[in-house]
Amino acid sequence: MWKIEPLRILNWTKSAAGISILLSVAAAVFATLSRGPHVLVNTVVMGGMLALVSMGLALVFGVMNIPMFAHGEYFMIGTLVAYYVFTPINAYVGTHPDSVLNALGPLITIVAAAGVGALAGVASEVLVFSQLRKRSRENWVMNSFLLTVGLSVVLINGHQLFFGADFKGIVRFWGGAPFSILDVFISRDRAMAFFLATVVVMVFWVFMTYTRTGRAIRAVSQDETGALMVGIGLNAILMLTMAISCALAAVAGASLLFMFPSYPSVGLEPLYMAWFVVIIAGLGNVLGAVVGAFIVSLLKVLTVEYIGSGWDFVVPSVLIIIILVFKPSGLFGTEVRGVLDK
Amino acid sequence: MLLEVKNLNAGYGFLQILRDVSLTVDEGEYVALVGPNGAGKSTTLRTIAGLLRPMSGGIQFKGESINGLPGNKVARKGIAYVSEAMNLFVNMTVQENLFMGAYRLTDKRLIRERLAFVYNLFPRLVERKNQLAGTMSGGERKMLAIGRGLMSNPQLLLVDEPSFGLAPQLTETVFERLGALNKQGMTIMLVEQNVTKTLAVTDRGYVLENGRIELQGRSADLACDEHVRKVFLGV
Repeated sequence: MWKIEPLRILNWTKSAAGISILLSVAAAVFATLSRGPHVLVNTVVMGGMLALVSMGLALVFGVMNIPMFAHGEYFMIGTLVAYYVFTPINAYVGTHPDSVLNALGPLITIVAAAGVGALAGVASEVLVFSQLRKRSRENWVMNSFLLTVGLSVVLINGHQLFFGADFKGIVRFWGGAPFSILDVFISRDRAMAFFLATVVVMVFWVFMTYTRTGRAIRAVSQDETGALMVGIGLNAILMLTMAISCALAAVAGASLLFMFPSYPSVGLEPLYMAWFVVIIAGLGNVLGAVVGAFIVSLLKVLTVEYIGSGWDFVVPSVLIIIILVFKPSGLFGTEVRGVLDK
Repeated sequence: MLLEVKNLNAGYGFLQILRDVSLTVDEGEYVALVGPNGAGKSTTLRTIAGLLRPMSGGIQFKGESINGLPGNKVARKGIAYVSEAMNLFVNMTVQENLFMGAYRLTDKRLIRERLAFVYNLFPRLVERKNQLAGTMSGGERKMLAIGRGLMSNPQLLLVDEPSFGLAPQLTETVFERLGALNKQGMTIMLVEQNVTKTLAVTDRGYVLENGRIELQGRSADLACDEHVRKVFLGV
């Protein structure tokens, strides 16, 4: 009865997902020891925010079957809203240093960006995707893909037309001395960005796992007809999915405003990075996207560190080509997919 | 009259499948819809369940027209449809699937009651409650699909081909459970290919051929009917 299998716990290390996670951790430890802890800090801060963008991308693909190429533009909307909300707050704080806004300003900014991002998502669903859905669901993936590319062009040029093409940035969100952990200085903005990403990922996970609405979203992604049969209204769920995923991208954009100033095509880089992540994690795999985000972010940081900053897109792209050739379902295609659902 | 379908025409795109189908189901009845492959049995159920828009005709449920309502609204009225493909949420556990079945209910106590009822009806599901639906055997999935339908506390249960792809012994179990459900007062409309078996357990039946209702009557009479015996039973 009691067969002892001591190596069974280690089985997961043999899978593609396990190997890639182990390799990444080893590479991160090695680089941290040889080049200094800033490697780790950069990876973790970038990875957290990339996780937000990629989760949204994976969600939209999983639930709505849309290969979203306008996702970077919701990141851009986040940066734009953050700039126009935070600049006046900052000016006010400059003259009233004791105001509560000193501490709350950045949070208000990010919440505002999330709200506008969600509204932009709802608007895109109502004005663009639901119109296509009403007309025809034939060739849906291809047609919706083309629509997202068009949407991206419209949003980028809309930004340029109404807000200009110049860089709209801020110096920092939170003033004060950087945190010092083990002789490593981490600016408050970076620490807060990582903290925010962690909180948002956790809230999102709890929402998807334990709430009635979160379950309904997962139900629609797993079987649309089954969802209809139990009484879930598709339109509301699709709209909500779009709102959540766009709000996630906008939060990432707003929290990173101190690194990426707002300009029309600021969203392209996060978009490409998020697609790398989603391809690595397997399309539609939301939790895999979180792990994938840290792997891609590490890859990028290591490339900049060891090869040179001009190469930071080349190395991930080569990796994507290799993965698509040898494991088209993504690294987590079989193992981690559906972790959210277990 | 719980369900009344009048002169229903339906199909896919330009292809019309159902032609002037009329049928009724009374409260507490166990009604069979039998017919050869491609006669339109599943199409009839899909149209009643709101997954397919009828071309013309009327569907009334509890005296209220549900004609052309989308599937989620029909489900909310109290019609549970157990499809042939089952449409389970494969990456959710058995228990999560059952909770999804109770999506239209808001009363927590009623949901717990329904869960106990379903677990009582299919004790196998209790053993499997934390297993992912996609990893279960065909018979267990069929039980789960019926269980999920029952979770919504429906007034009418539409069951499509419960014996499809099941081992004979499991088919027996599923039929027996459905019979027990009907004894407890559940109204059931059953679509089946297994004509002998179906007519033996149901009260009343309709025979569908080429999208038209050819015969109707008490199941026992249908089972003795010359035409039915020739076409379905080969005697």
